[in-house]
Amino acid sequence: MIKAVLIFNQLGKPRLIKFYEQIGTAAQQEILREIHSLVAKRPDTQCNFLEGTRSIGGAGARIVYRHYATLYFVFVADQSESDLGMLDLIQLFVEALDRSFENVCELDLIFHFDEIHHILSEVVSAGMVIETSLAEIGSAVDEAKRLAKPDSDHSRLGLHSLRRGFVQ
Amino acid sequence: MFEKTLSDLIQGLRANKRNEAEYIQRSLEEIQREVQQSDMRCKSAAVDKLNYLHMLGYDMNWASFNVVEVMASPRFGEKRTGYLAAAQSFNQETDVLMLVTNLIRKDLAAPSAMEVGLALDGLAQTATAELAADLFDDVLAVLGHPRACVRKKAVVCLYRLVQRHPEGLPALVPQLKERLDDPDPSVVSAAVGVVCELARTDPRSYLPLAPKLYHLLTTLTNNWILIKIVNLFAALAPIEPRLARKLHGPLSRLVTTTSAMSLLYECIHTAVVGDVIGVPLPVPDAIGRETDFAELCAQKLEVFYQSRDHNLRYVGLVTLARLQARRPDLVAGQYATVLACLDDPDLSIRMRAIEVVAAMTTRKTLVGTVNHIVAQLARSSTVALHPAGPAALMAAGSAPAAAEGDLPQTDAHGTSLVSAQGAIAAPKRDCADPADSPEYRLAAVEAIAGMCSRESYGNMVDFEWYVATLADLVYVAGVDVDRLLSERLLDVTVRVRQVRRFSVAVARRLLADARLAGRAAADGANAATLATAAYILGEYCPLLPAEPDDATLLLLPPGLASLSDDQQAVFVQAAAKAYTNWLRDVAGDWSADAWEAVRSVTASIQRTLAQIFFPDGAAGTSGDAVARLAAGLPLQAGCRLRQLAEIIKTVSVATSNLGDAAPPVCAELHALFTMYELNPVSAAAQGKVPVPEGLDLDAPIGDPIPDTSHKVLPPPPPPPPPAAAAQLHQRGSRHDRGSGDRAAHRARENDPFYLGGAAHGAARELPDVDDIPVMALDLGDKPRSSGGGGGGSKKAKKAKKKHRRDRPRTPSPPPPAVDIAGDEDVPEAPPA
Repeated sequence: MIKAVLIFNQLGKPRLIKFYEQIGTAAQQEILREIHSLVAKRPDTQCNFLEGTRSIGGAGARIVYRHYATLYFVFVADQSESDLGMLDLIQLFVEALDRSFENVCELDLIFHFDEIHHILSEVVSAGMVIETSLAEIGSAVDEAKRLAKPDSDHSRLGLHSLRRGFVQ
Repeated sequence: MFEKTLSDLIQGLRANKRNEAEYIQRSLEEIQREVQQSDMRCKSAAVDKLNYLHMLGYDMNWASFNVVEVMASPRFGEKRTGYLAAAQSFNQETDVLMLVTNLIRKDLAAPSAMEVGLALDGLAQTATAELAADLFDDVLAVLGHPRACVRKKAVVCLYRLVQRHPEGLPALVPQLKERLDDPDPSVVSAAVGVVCELARTDPRSYLPLAPKLYHLLTTLTNNWILIKIVNLFAALAPIEPRLARKLHGPLSRLVTTTSAMSLLYECIHTAVVGDVIGVPLPVPDAIGRETDFAELCAQKLEVFYQSRDHNLRYVGLVTLARLQARRPDLVAGQYATVLACLDDPDLSIRMRAIEVVAAMTTRKTLVGTVNHIVAQLARSSTVALHPAGPAALMAAGSAPAAAEGDLPQTDAHGTSLVSAQGAIAAPKRDCADPADSPEYRLAAVEAIAGMCSRESYGNMVDFEWYVATLADLVYVAGVDVDRLLSERLLDVTVRVRQVRRFSVAVARRLLADARLAGRAAADGANAATLATAAYILGEYCPLLPAEPDDATLLLLPPGLASLSDDQQAVFVQAAAKAYTNWLRDVAGDWSADAWEAVRSVTASIQRTLAQIFFPDGAAGTSGDAVARLAAGLPLQAGCRLRQLAEIIKTVSVATSNLGDAAPPVCAELHALFTMYELNPVSAAAQGKVPVPEGLDLDAPIGDPIPDTSHKVLPPPPPPPPPAAAAQLHQRGSRHDRGSGDRAAHRARENDPFYLGGAAHGAARELPDVDDIPVMALDLGDKPRSSGGGGGGSKKAKKAKKKHRRDRPRTPSPPPPAVDIAGDEDVPEAPPA
């Protein structure tokens, strides 16, 4: 089972925090800090696996991460998930993001923080992988977008018009 | 009207980096107002913002009710915001969850598949036991939904529900089985995932699903699901031996044909863990030759751990460790490769490699491997006490973090994450040496201890080298392995007679190092090791020429008072042994000079004791004063101190005048400590001593004596059963107690004032206590040494122990010329 999905940048600023177990806010931040400190000091030539520590999922857990440009994508999983499978899953997730945002970058993740959650929820639900086909993920995300659209004019106007200075 | 949107908030945060906390505080106040408004759009935007701040570490539990309001919005976008906020922030104690039962039930029956999916996702994340019980049937009904994207979410949601509501499990399992046949591969995948999780906690209950899974394994081609199923069989195969034979075909086929590394790896892993490689069936390889599956797996595994790709190397080592445990012969040839992995700059790989190396070491390679690891530890810059500390580079971990702030100015505005995969965007800090990492150091020391003492030192060739290595580790370990090292040091010294002389020399060296003593006194580091060194020096000092300094300087160091009670006791007891040993030595060659030396050393010990334990000087230095004040010390230390004071007093009195010959007491005191030799005792021995008939260990010994004006004290309470590990240190106390008991017993018998059931109590209880060992250690067919008469019990015990020592102890072949003592044990009591 996947215990958590974290995205943070090189400085440790969170871009997405998703725990599939209920954990207090302070504990979440603590885990984020700890994983960042472990991951950020590893050069990209080293392997993408770290053993879990006491605070992160116990000794059986494994931290699987990938480093993309300015961001780290981290999946914390227990032993019932395949290590190499988790690596592939991170790649799949990032490709799904890329598909949704067209050349996704850190700013997309910052400003569409809820959208990232929705895309993730089409890949992993309740800690289990539910979809591994990019096409399926994409169509589910699009369908939800269409449903949400008529009512979200306001918020969409928000970002783009603000950039152009239309809205005060 | 002018409320901020989420984007505004984020923009604002980025614009106010200097006073972020203040900005967030202001925003939170706005949000607090906004969530109260009746306009759902405004409320939902506020919850969205709050959710963002929650990610930054701000609590949002106060808004739970508003989150529920947003969840109830008829508009999908807002509903989604509400569900997301609930999933992120609710916990088991969130009271408003009681309000959402009907809301979720309604959403589960919504016409839009997306809305149902939303409800399933949210429910899986927030379910309490109550919610799970109430909504279980509703979710079960959703399993038949026409859309696959709903069915797959329902499957995983049900798994979360049965965790909170185990009563639902019987209803779930047949439904799951049905979902394994689902036409949609994602639903099958989700169902396999759930079975996998359930089977992990209770594999036996899911064995009936094995045929179905086996069928999937042989028919599906989707690698994702195959990996999952193969992984699941790794949990099932160990409990159902027949599965191994069944799996042999499909797994070997996959191993020879698949091109996906992740699937190949999973197959090898399951084949090894599930012992499929043990099935004696041949595997035809690509060109039709037949090979052994185990060899095939070992061969394919090489591709992994010899790969340049660090990820493959890592997982390869994980499985190599498992293969090592099952088929050491297949792995033995890889020793050099694995040893090379010990020098990998990657900590994760090293941690795996050290595990494999520790298991692979043989007699031939042991010394080389251990020296290699110790050298690695010694080179690290974290070693504080290295004799010749090289000015190594500073550990990179301590480099100051990059400038504060959110993103670098040249941030990722246009950089595609996917195309930049693996690119290093910012300059990396220097990579830390993995040998600096405490985890690695701990694992390394544990691995050394493990591989050296495996199979009761079966691989050990040179014991003196081993003791020296342990002593080196005291310096270079750099992590808290004090207890481990002290245990190993004691173990090898006690079990291997031939190394004791050397151990005493090493113990002297360790005790003489003021730096170690200083650390032990300052923060307890190395304290256990030093206490063990003190014990070894005290116990085995007759093996080396006696030194008066042992007792005065080494065993009564100035920092002694800051150690723990038990450690103080060990030091004082060892000092008494070393002192009496030296006395016996000088008594053999008596002269005026010897007399002078005894006087001065004895006085010096008295002074040292007073300085250590009573630094305020009120005590004076006479033995009586020490004994009196020792009563104020913790039990163990005080007890030993009184004993040492008593010895000193006796010696002072005996040597008050110079005589022609040494006072007999000088030569004989040491025999107090060497009455018989101690051997390692099995941890289970104590429990096997049968309780003699008629003895109730829980009954108080003797009646309580109300009037304490009598000179006679009540007999001491029965001692708690000593822990096996502590037994070595308790020898003195057992002797003392034994003689004390007897003395008290005699005194009581002779005391005309002693009334309270004296004859009765003493006659019944005390001899029984004395009899326990004698009656218990019935050797059955072994000839018993007849220790004639009254004082015979001790002699009999000693003879018995000697006898036991000569028995062959261990099935593994010990190295030549070295006798390794195994644990002493009590034979199983004959059935009554």
